[in-house]
Amino acid sequence: MTDTLRIVIVDDEPLARAVVREYSEGDPGIDVVADCANGFEAVKAVADLKPDLVLLDVQMPKLDGFEVLELLGRDQAVVFITAYDQYALRAFEVHAVDYLLKPFSAERFQEAMQRARERLRAKTALPLEEIVRDAKPRTGPSERVLIRDGANVHVLPVDKIDYVEAQDDYVAFKSEGKQYLKDQTLAAVEGMLDPARFVRIHRSFVLNIDRIAKVELYAKDSRMATLRDGTRLPVSRAGYARLSELL
Amino acid sequence: MHPILARPGNLAAYIAIWVPLGGLLAGLLAMQGVLGWFNAVIVAVPLSISYGFLCLSAWYVTGGSPVERTGALRVGVTAVAASLLSSALWLLIARAWLGLIASFGEWTDVTAPFRAAAPTFFGFGFLLYLLAMAVSYLAAAFAVSRNAERRGLELQVLAREAELRALRAQLDPHFLFNSLQSISALTTVEPPAARRMCLLLADFLRETLALGSRDRIPLSAELALVRKFLSVEQVRFGDRLRVEIDADAAGDARVPPLLLQPLAENAVTHGVAHLIEGGVVRIRAERRVASLVITVDNPCDPDRPDGRGTGLGLRNVRERLESYGADAFLTAEERDGRFWVRVEIPLQERPVRETP
Repeated sequence: MTDTLRIVIVDDEPLARAVVREYSEGDPGIDVVADCANGFEAVKAVADLKPDLVLLDVQMPKLDGFEVLELLGRDQAVVFITAYDQYALRAFEVHAVDYLLKPFSAERFQEAMQRARERLRAKTALPLEEIVRDAKPRTGPSERVLIRDGANVHVLPVDKIDYVEAQDDYVAFKSEGKQYLKDQTLAAVEGMLDPARFVRIHRSFVLNIDRIAKVELYAKDSRMATLRDGTRLPVSRAGYARLSELL
Repeated sequence: MHPILARPGNLAAYIAIWVPLGGLLAGLLAMQGVLGWFNAVIVAVPLSISYGFLCLSAWYVTGGSPVERTGALRVGVTAVAASLLSSALWLLIARAWLGLIASFGEWTDVTAPFRAAAPTFFGFGFLLYLLAMAVSYLAAAFAVSRNAERRGLELQVLAREAELRALRAQLDPHFLFNSLQSISALTTVEPPAARRMCLLLADFLRETLALGSRDRIPLSAELALVRKFLSVEQVRFGDRLRVEIDADAAGDARVPPLLLQPLAENAVTHGVAHLIEGGVVRIRAERRVASLVITVDNPCDPDRPDGRGTGLGLRNVRERLESYGADAFLTAEERDGRFWVRVEIPLQERPVRETP
């Protein structure tokens, strides 16, 4: 990369963005290409503008900093900004993620920018999954699934999911007649969803048990589940055992 | 625990008092001509010390409580009865002691000297036991007043702690650091606004400190505090945070301090802050026949991850309602995309001053 650091500022508080802008303007080596008031804007801006670095506030409406990080992937460097968050700080320390504590000085900001330049030069990627995993207190199974579709983000509440199907390198979340693709394994999806509501009925399918209308014997050792909307899905023998245990 | 038996040093000093008393008794006996000086001392001093131990019982008779808690008549009757009983008991001990000394061959007949000395013993014992009881009552009264003094000091410390706890409870680190961040931003962008924010924050903290330790405050004072808090948050959130407060129908009711502030804080941090477009925090206070009803409601994100955090604020408010017992109610529910908290407390108003 050349000398100019192209950055995107993401913070829901206008004054917090103003500080970063002010500090950046004092440095000809930094170009603020966008400032975003929420995670959706951030995903769009990053997809469109491909910045070198994202300055990301942790506490934001709808999508918090870690969810944004998960959606952005590792194509750019990230410096987190937070006022106070004991879980996040621990995760930052453990994974050597750079962060700024509000309020921060211009010197501290410059230091973080310098470190980001070095990281970009060395092309060291962040251990994304581990950060996301460690940064929040464990609160049980996910209540929603975030799916990035180009510059757009879909927030899918888990009770709107009918079933999840494995498709090559992706999984497809089926909801209300639509399908959302996500770069994830079906095993990871299964681990994230509430095991009391979602069950793996087949090598390729995880089903929301609220959607089941009936399960019938189809052939020897194989059954077919019919959903309320009429969709028919295969149920393996192991899948049927898991399903009977739950019902 | 008996105050004299509590420490060995106390017991030694107490027994030491009974030696000269024994001397006094010996003097009485000798002057009455009942016994010779030498015999009188031999008889009286050990008996006096033994009576000292007997008189320790006075503390238990008084029950370790001062006169005003027992009633004068009962105290008088108990004192006389206990004194008669203990001096009679002492007389038996004296008889046995005389018998013991006699067995060493000093006297052959102990009955005559005992008879002669008995009235003196009895009177002496009776009066000293009364005295011991009086001292017990005095000591108990002294202990009670010292306890009261200590409790007074403890209460002062507790009140101070309550103030600090109140402050700490209000001082959500997010709130403070984010406010400082806003001030830091405003210093270059808009210096007068930075100063206004500093003053707002200082006022808010000072009032929290002052109100936190009081028992009841006017609703208007609580609302003023809430307005300051929300003004600080408005600097941070900008247009996203709107506020409507309607308390015209509430009069000048009294409320526990910091009743509404935690609810306003919840409304911001768990409601408006989670919404991209923000929303309105509404506070309404209304007077009913015998109660004051306050509702705080705010828009909330229907997709937000389940109830993290609102618990602490609601718990603080419930704690503040405890002083009303079963007469206060708090309900919290999510309805129509908004979170509603309703607080009902008995109506307490400032005593109306009579006009001439």
